[in-house]
Amino acid sequence: MIRAYLGKMRGTSISPPRVDALEILFSGLGGFLGLGLVAFLEAQFFQESDLLLLIAPFGASAVLLYGAVKSPLAQPRNLVGGHLLSAAVGVTALKLLSPHPALAVAVAVSVSIMLMHATRTLHPPGGATALVAILGGPKVQNLGYLFVLMPVAAGVLLLLLVALLFNNLIPRRRYPEFWW
Amino acid sequence: MSREIAPEAGAGEFPLTDEDIYAAMKEIPGYLDITPGSFRELYRLAYRLARQRLFQEVTAARIMTREVVSVRPDTPVAEVAEAMGRAGVSGVPVVEADGRVVGVISERDFLRQMGSGEANFMSLVAACLRARGCVALPLTKKAAAELMSAPAVTVNPETTVREVAEVLAAHRINRVPVVDGGGRLVGIVSRGDLLKALQGGVSP
Repeated sequence: MIRAYLGKMRGTSISPPRVDALEILFSGLGGFLGLGLVAFLEAQFFQESDLLLLIAPFGASAVLLYGAVKSPLAQPRNLVGGHLLSAAVGVTALKLLSPHPALAVAVAVSVSIMLMHATRTLHPPGGATALVAILGGPKVQNLGYLFVLMPVAAGVLLLLLVALLFNNLIPRRRYPEFWW
Repeated sequence: MSREIAPEAGAGEFPLTDEDIYAAMKEIPGYLDITPGSFRELYRLAYRLARQRLFQEVTAARIMTREVVSVRPDTPVAEVAEAMGRAGVSGVPVVEADGRVVGVISERDFLRQMGSGEANFMSLVAACLRARGCVALPLTKKAAAELMSAPAVTVNPETTVREVAEVLAAHRINRVPVVDGGGRLVGIVSRGDLLKALQGGVSP
């Protein structure tokens, strides 16, 4: 039984192939444009304000949106649903469990995963968004539920816009696979 | 990277290897969010479901041969044999002028008439070796109606492939005429047609 258990850790398949050079280039370019846009707007308009536009989970979303365009995890339903649900979960966890930050973090990520699964909106960066709601510092904490709309919804929609415009400019790419 | 087909894969499933999938994945530009192993698993299950559906949903009309070599009840046996030989088939429906199927003549019907009991090729050879001249001579005066197996076992165009297979097995026959509501011949399904359908040559 132990052997079977340990045997499972050997793996059973092989890694998918490396994409070709053009694909690597397009993925990088997409990521540059997506994050570039959000970071530029953040620097232009939000530097001095109490609001935020750019959070770290967007980097993870960019990997999917521009690097794994066909993935179910990268589709609009997952991108938008995953981030918004997880953001709301994160803010709620902070409000309810602020005396116990470690518990709040664990609960936020755990509930986010379950909720994303149940709503067919699994988007791994959502887990990070839930964390940011808790660990993002005073600026994020002062936002309360506004965090869900800004930076999360606003930033996500910008990334989605770039994904739609950019990916569909490339002959070999199309986006999305499905909307909802 | 040299993993073989999953041992539980049944007959008729392609021996799809991780290498095949890996090579196919390379032909699709863009990152595919799945391992070759997961794809193989998915493929195996989907293929099994497709085969089940094929057996449950596909009808005789879908897989039958429509251009059927047939004979009339009064066709002389020699002509029947010629027609079968020309077409390279081992059985033909016997059809009235209005298209109604009244029987089927197969090689076995010939063998039964010619051999000395057992209706198979070796007993025919035995009969040949014992007799002088052709053991088929007693048949010369006969017509199809006298030789055929009647009434004909038939199926409808709507009969599913699964039921056709059961009919063939139950009656120990190799082909079954497909008839419309009026009993008129519209096609024939042979064991070969069934095999082709099983191999995936037909989609519902």
